Parts: sequence; C-alpha cells; structure tokens
Amino acid sequence: MSRTPPGNTTVVDRIRGGALDTVSAGIVRWGFVAVTVLLIGFFALTEPNFRTADNMFGMLKFIAPTAIAGLGVMLAMTVGGIDLSVGASAGFAVSIAAWTMVVGNQVGGVAVGVVLVGGALIGALNALLIVVARIPDLLATLTTMFVIVGLKLLIVDGKSISSQMTLADGSSAPGRFTPDFLWLDRGNIGPVPVPVVIFIALTVLLWFVLERTKWGRALYAVGANAEAARLAGIRVLLYRTAAYVGCGLLASVAGLLLAARIGQGDVSAGNSLLLDAMAVSLVGVSVLGMGRPNAWGTALGAVLIAVMVTGFTMIGLPYYAQDFGKGIVLLVALLFSFTFSRKRTVVVAGSMTN
Amino acid sequence: MAHARSISVLALTASAILALTGCAQSNAAGTAESTSAAVTEATAPLPAPFDGDAVSVALVRQSGAGDYFEAWGAGAKAQAKAANIDLTITDARNDNAKQASDLEQAIASKPDAIIVDHGQTDTLQPLISQAVDAGIPVVVYDLALTDSTGVITTSQSDESMASGVLDQLITDVGDGAKVGYVSATGFAALDRRALVWDTYVNDHDLDVVFSTGKVSESTASDNIPLVDAALKQNPDVQAIFAPYDEITKGAVQAVIQNNLQSSVKVYGIDISNADLEVINAADSPWVATSATDPAAVGAAVVRSLALSLAGQLDETDVQFPAIVITQDFLAAKSVDNVTALRDAEPSLTLDTTVVADWLPATS
Repeated sequence: MSRTPPGNTTVVDRIRGGALDTVSAGIVRWGFVAVTVLLIGFFALTEPNFRTADNMFGMLKFIAPTAIAGLGVMLAMTVGGIDLSVGASAGFAVSIAAWTMVVGNQVGGVAVGVVLVGGALIGALNALLIVVARIPDLLATLTTMFVIVGLKLLIVDGKSISSQMTLADGSSAPGRFTPDFLWLDRGNIGPVPVPVVIFIALTVLLWFVLERTKWGRALYAVGANAEAARLAGIRVLLYRTAAYVGCGLLASVAGLLLAARIGQGDVSAGNSLLLDAMAVSLVGVSVLGMGRPNAWGTALGAVLIAVMVTGFTMIGLPYYAQDFGKGIVLLVALLFSFTFSRKRTVVVAGSMTN
Repeated sequence: MAHARSISVLALTASAILALTGCAQSNAAGTAESTSAAVTEATAPLPAPFDGDAVSVALVRQSGAGDYFEAWGAGAKAQAKAANIDLTITDARNDNAKQASDLEQAIASKPDAIIVDHGQTDTLQPLISQAVDAGIPVVVYDLALTDSTGVITTSQSDESMASGVLDQLITDVGDGAKVGYVSATGFAALDRRALVWDTYVNDHDLDVVFSTGKVSESTASDNIPLVDAALKQNPDVQAIFAPYDEITKGAVQAVIQNNLQSSVKVYGIDISNADLEVINAADSPWVATSATDPAAVGAAVVRSLALSLAGQLDETDVQFPAIVITQDFLAAKSVDNVTALRDAEPSLTLDTTVVADWLPATS
C-alpha cells in the first residue's frame, strides 16, 4: 500500500516545473512593467514634487526626443539591422532647422519640411550603403554618422546658429526661430505638451504598422530570416530600405523637438542621443517579454529611463549614479531577452546572421 | 533546461531585489548627511526665511564636469548647507536640451528659488521669464539674458579676467606679436572674453595667425589636435591666448607635443589643482592665468541668493573680481595647490564679497 506509484515524482516535478515556468514567464513578461510601476510608486510617495501632473508631463516631454530616436533604432532592428547615425541625424536636423530659419529667413513649416527631407535622405544613404553596397549595418551607419556630423559642421562653419549672429559677410542673420516652430516644444494640445503628443502618436502608429499590417509582418520576417522572406515572395530590399528611411525620418523628428527646445542651432545637440536611443530600443525588446523589437516596449523603456533620471535627481543622486542605474537596467533587460527568455530573441543588432 | 532557466530567473530577481535594497540604504544615508546641520562661524543667527525648515533651491547646471565646475559645485553645496538651504542639483552635461528640461522640471517642482549655472540664452530665457512670472526668485551665473527683469545676475568678471592676463601677454611679447587664439563661441563667458581679446588685438596690433578651439564633453583632449595642426602650420607663433582652462590644457599639450615650449607662451584663464600642476611642470609653456577660486565663486553665488531672499542684497548684478597669477609667482611662493594659493593670495576667497554676519564665506 505504501508503495509509491512510479510515475508520481515525475508528475510532481512537472507540476512544480510548470509553476516555476509560469512564474518565470510572468517575471520575464511583467518584470519591467513592475519595476517601472514600483519606482514611480516609490518616488511618488517620497517626493511630493514627483507626483504632480506637471512633473509627469515634464518627464514624458524630456524623454520624447530620446524615445522617438529609439523608435527609429527599433525600426532598423526589425529588419535585423542597427542605426548608429540617429544621434548625428538628430543633430543635423537641429542645425539645418536653425539654418533654414535664421540664415535662410524661412518660416517654421519650411524648416520642418527641409529637416524631414534631410532625414529621409540620410536614411536613404544608409539604405544605399547597406542594401546596395552591402556594407554591414554597423559599419555603414557608423560611417554615415561621421559623414553627417562633418557635413553639418561644414554647413554651419562649426558654429552654433543663433538669432542675431554675425554672418561671414559681417551682417546680422536676418531670421530667428519662429513661434510656430517653437510651438513644437513649448506648445500644448489641451493639457498635454506637443512633444508628448508626437511621442504617443508615433508609438501608436508604429505599433499599428508593425503588429496589425502585412508590412509589419514582412519587416519582422525579413529580420528573422531574410532568405526565407525572399523565398516567400517578400521584397526584402524594399523593406530594408523602408526601415532605414523610416529610422532617418524618426531621428529627424527627434531633432526637430530638440531644436525647438534649445531655440538655437546648438552644434553639440544630439551628441548624447545615440546611446540613450540604443538603450531604450534594446530595453524595449525585453520589456514586455516579446523578444523582438516593438513600439510599446521601446516607449516603456524610455519612460523607465525618464522616471529613473528624474527620481534619482530628486533624491539627490549625482549624474554618474544615474548612468550606473541605466546600465544595470539595460544589463537586466539584455539578460531577460537573451539568457532567460523562452522565446528565441529576434534581435541581432548589426549583423545579418541569426 | 527549462528548470535551470526558471531558477536562474528567480535567482536574478532575488539578487536584483537585494541590490535595490542596498541602494535604498545608501540613499537614506546620503539624505541624512545632506540635511544634517553644518558648523559655521556665523556670528549672528540665521534670519527668515532660513530660520525654519530648510529652504529648497534648485541648482540647474549646464555642466558639472571638469575641475572648475566640480569645485564650483562643491563650494555651492558647502555654502548652501551652512545657510540651511536644501540644494537639488541637476547637471545637463553640456546637453542644452536636457538643461531646458531640467529647468522646466525645476519650475514645476515650485522650489523657493532657482539658480541657473551657465547655459544658452535662447534656450533658457523663455523659461527664466516663466519662473519669474511664477514668482520664483531666480539667480543666474555666467548666463547672458536678453531680459533680466526680476533676475539677479552674477558672474565672475570676465572683463577683469581677460584684461589682466592679456596685459601680462603684452608685457611679455610686446605689440605686433604673432599670436594664436583658441576658444569657442556660444558660451557667455567665452564670448565676453572674446570681446576683450578683440580690443587687445586692435589696440596692440597683434598678428593673429590662427583661431581655433572647441568646447565638448572632453574639451582638453579634443583641443589638442586642433592646436597641434595650427602649430604645425604656424610654428613661429609667440603666444597663445586660450581663455578657458580645459582649452588651455589642450593648447599646452599641443605646444609640448610640437616641442615649442621654449618659443611659445600660453596664457589661460581659470585655476584648479590640476591646472596648477600643469603650470608648475618643468618647462611648462603656460606662463600666466587669470583666476577666481571656483569654490569661492560657487559659494558666493549661493550667498547672493541667500542675501536676496533675506532682503539684504541691494544690487541685481553681482561680479566676482579676478586676479592674475603668473608661473613665476607660483614658483616664488612654491604654491602647488589651490589651498596654498589661497594663503598666498587671500583675495581669492571672496571673504568680503556678498557676506553678512550670519552668512560668512565657507571656503
């Protein structure tokens, strides 16, 4: 009677294992959301200034350019690529917008148009190098980064462009940053600052395109296995080109927001954007346990970084502690995506092998 | 496999929680330290509003990196502690968009006052006006404003800094000398020094053979190649004016690389322990610098704010005077750090500028 049926231990093990797996899957899927919520809760309880609506919008506004550039990197990642030129493209956008308005004396709308065309061209250049010239993404976009930074400095003579600056011929610059352009940063739609609206709108747009349309599925298919995608009749070159052009456009939108925030053509703008954008898109891969680049994950990654930077500042930690915090978050995110995830992670930043 | 993975996830989570707990503890310790009262030599009790709860002040900085800014921040912190001010510091690390966000968030947090340290005029002017409109007292340091209504502006006197060291340059190399200029535009202090430079160039017929320079995250090393190239092109230059110590260090390094230290003299501005080491090195081309003590200036900015909040500041523009320090002076007095320099040149401590019996200089 006391004899244990031979199968029992296995069953118990399996049940225990199942429970463990469920718990770990839950952690993988919701861990980051939980950390974000816990951090927000902690700062909201301890710092009265943190829990104001002004601060919530302020944080989202502050992170919007980084998040949008991160969405660009995310888009490049969907086709198995990477884009190191996002920071340079954003910086280029800042100087070009300033040049168009201050030196060219054009209105804000023209500046926005010029910047977006410029961004699309940078994306097209990346695509040309990667798709046609077959240079690996990492190297091609690194090259583009230097070319764009240099080109920007050549165009503006290495100088920050500000209203009333003295031009080469000794006269004063005719234009200035127009109010309609500055509205991009300083305006509100209802109670919501414009950058936040743009950030959320772009996140929703990219989520819709990637998750709800055949173009999105095709992009992921190209990223997962370009050869299989080609055999399935997907026009691989076209999709990879589109991803890089999209990335260039998003980077230039980020640059427009930076330009409106700074209010002058600051030559150093965008320098710090690349690493943060890269970080949020990588965190985005793991945030919702999806194991692939995705829009909501990237947005959430950006929010997490904004919460950390703002909260850490409020409790008085120096900036290098914030870098450490960001590093730890990225490390944990990467461990979740590559080491513990049950799904195969489809992000191969900068190579086409899988 | 699945088990190993699940267990490692749990282990990681557990260790993350442990790590976070560790963080929390160190935070608490940090807060406790920063709110503890400091010992001061004040001879009168603190007046309102400093006699009650700590006065909250946001310090919004363009950059806190580099010897100068590090010392400035330390001075400001020490003075704030002595005056019962709870200082919240943000550091934009030369990212002007970040500084705008920082200031915006500072305004939203409704502090008792805001100090803005450096920054771009076009970027910060609208936000500073917004803060003034919201009734928050604002003190700016080394930031040119187009509308300074209701703002207390403070600066180290760039006019006196630049002219002092340039007088020395003219004494050393004379009128009509071949000179180089290493600086950047778009920074209030550098722009003001540039104006003084232009005057000297005209008045003394200086032959400017090169102008270069930049300010970046790593200014000193980024200027070496620029000055190096300029020196290769113009090895006959007699003096270089590099009016910001991080740039000066780059220029000095480039001169040494080109083995020109016997014929090229470098004139800088600012001082720090690291700068003194460079100036005092054997055969250093850096012959004179013009300086305020950054820690004393950071403290004096906080004192300006404190006096104004207590209703005891009569002026709206406060300038901190500078002195010229030559290599020979340092050698004669064998000064090798800022503390020793303060003893050798007591006027650096600004202990008579914006002080009160309840608010002595801390540095």
